[in-house]
Amino acid sequence: MDPTFILIGGSTVAIAFYVAWSIGANDVANSMGTSVGSKAISIRQAILIAGIFEFAGAVLIGIHVTKTIQNGIVDPALFSADPSIYVYGMLAALLAAAVWISISTYFSLPISTSQSIVGALIGFGVVAAGVSAVSWEKIVQIGESWILSPIAGAALAFFIFLIIKKVIFDTSKPFESTKKAIPFFTFALVSVILFSIFKSLECTDFPTICFSTALEITLVISIISAVLSYVLVNRYNPGKMETDQDVYRSIEHVFIYLQIITACFVAFAHGSNDVANAIGPLAAVINVLQSGAIESVIGVPLWLVVLGGAGIVVGLATWGYKVIGTIGKKITEITPTRGFSAEFSTALVVLVCSRLGLPVSTSQVLVGSVIGIGFAKGIVAVDLKIIKRIMTCWIITVPVSAATAAIIFICLKAIV
Amino acid sequence: MGEKLEEKDHFRAPVADTFRRKSPFSQLLEHMGKVRECIDILGDGLVGYYKGDYKDFPVLAKKVSEIEHEADLIKSNLRNHLPNSLFMPVDKGKFMWALREQDAILDHAENLVRMLDMRHTKIPKELQDVFINHAKLVMKTVEAMEDAVCNIRDLVETSFVKREREQTKQFIYKVHEFEWKADKAKYEATKGIYKFEKKLDPMDVYHLLKIADWVDDIADHAENVADWLRAMIAK
Repeated sequence: MDPTFILIGGSTVAIAFYVAWSIGANDVANSMGTSVGSKAISIRQAILIAGIFEFAGAVLIGIHVTKTIQNGIVDPALFSADPSIYVYGMLAALLAAAVWISISTYFSLPISTSQSIVGALIGFGVVAAGVSAVSWEKIVQIGESWILSPIAGAALAFFIFLIIKKVIFDTSKPFESTKKAIPFFTFALVSVILFSIFKSLECTDFPTICFSTALEITLVISIISAVLSYVLVNRYNPGKMETDQDVYRSIEHVFIYLQIITACFVAFAHGSNDVANAIGPLAAVINVLQSGAIESVIGVPLWLVVLGGAGIVVGLATWGYKVIGTIGKKITEITPTRGFSAEFSTALVVLVCSRLGLPVSTSQVLVGSVIGIGFAKGIVAVDLKIIKRIMTCWIITVPVSAATAAIIFICLKAIV
Repeated sequence: MGEKLEEKDHFRAPVADTFRRKSPFSQLLEHMGKVRECIDILGDGLVGYYKGDYKDFPVLAKKVSEIEHEADLIKSNLRNHLPNSLFMPVDKGKFMWALREQDAILDHAENLVRMLDMRHTKIPKELQDVFINHAKLVMKTVEAMEDAVCNIRDLVETSFVKREREQTKQFIYKVHEFEWKADKAKYEATKGIYKFEKKLDPMDVYHLLKIADWVDDIADHAENVADWLRAMIAK
């Protein structure tokens, strides 16, 4: 093989790993921050379960969004005459995204890695093959998902929290109501998680099971979980229950366990969506390098998804603990009942987007969910300024990443 | 970007900036704690003063001033951090009025102890019981108000369910009840002052009337806090 190709392949792998590392290091706070903040789990436990679920999400379901990044935005077929242009372009896009992610992370700007990679791909596509090289239809669809996903998160979290309020807090004996409601919550939670995972497994490299089997497995596991939760909540000794505050503390304590399950679900969904930001461009480069040409049907080798998942896990193990610790202290206002509602809706929205192949921002969906709970009067003093900041950031991110990718691409082409 | 107190963190976590880290309600409760602290020493101090014990009063006056200042800091911190972009489950204006009235209790307490410390006005033996009774009822009004304010914790935790709002209202009724009793006691005290006006030095009469008035102001403001609280939680 051509030594420049080895050099390019190697550097792409390195940058992709860096991006995955950065995603893992930073975004893990989204899934685990509240659980650590409410002292449901220790930081060490959080790292461990986040690692397992991020990796599982990335490997099992990461392929849908990876395909979008790989060939949904810039059409590879346009470069079949000169595949090396395509390789440089993908490398440039990845590098541009990595640079922007690093800068904005340093300055704590609430940008999204998904948005930077999409912006970078647009930049490379336009410079390399003209405006028509970019699938604008897909871009519009992705752009809509960036607006709709936080709104969907807000609406879903709003309703989940209202249900908790109605069936638990707004009853004459809230703790007794909690005992009765927990098995139903567990059933709903486990069945939604399992079913959405089964649905997302379709069209991946993993063996899928038919609809009725999936439904049966989901039902059986959910019922077992519900029964288990019934036993556990009835054995739970809340201690002294003299004041209303004691009662509410016990309710929150019971919800800690459900919240840990939703935290795992968020980690899974995050892995399934964000691994693509790192390995999407890499998959494109590797394909060309291996075959020497642009193939019409491009698959994503499993080892790439594993590499991306590993990068995320290394990120959260090496740097993520610091982020979790700091965030955990800042978001103590989100008690387990609130954390449960926010995380459940975030995970569900992100996983559905993953299945649809849409790269969205988990952080922004989570922000939407928290605001949704605020509107249900569940969190006092929600600062709506964050909406403006996020909007500004994503309006800046796309052109900045695009311009950076274009410049890097032109330089690369000139050098090589 | 939230409160700019801590050092800069180098990561992106917009969820941490989505809400105020220190809930305005817990700050209101913190302020309430200062009111309580002040009322506790003022209640005992007044009884001693009425009985003619002025020995420790200068120390007490200084202490009340300190508490008032500490509470002022909490109040201004809270007031300066309620931007328009902040979404709260209650009306922000009503919330601020409750805080303002709560703070007025401390302002009045401070003015009262300063005035009492400036001129040690002797309470006639015959009026001591009426005055002490009045002071105790005023303190009870504030204590009842404290119960109402502290129920905010439960309101916040349950996201303002009906049961807890009803409970707060029950506490508010108590405030009105004590305030009404305090008013009656003040009426008795004033009546007593006029009854003995011939025997008393005119300057003493002036000050006795002023003391009765100023002590009663505290109960009035406690009642105002309760009223704003009620308006705040009304649906």
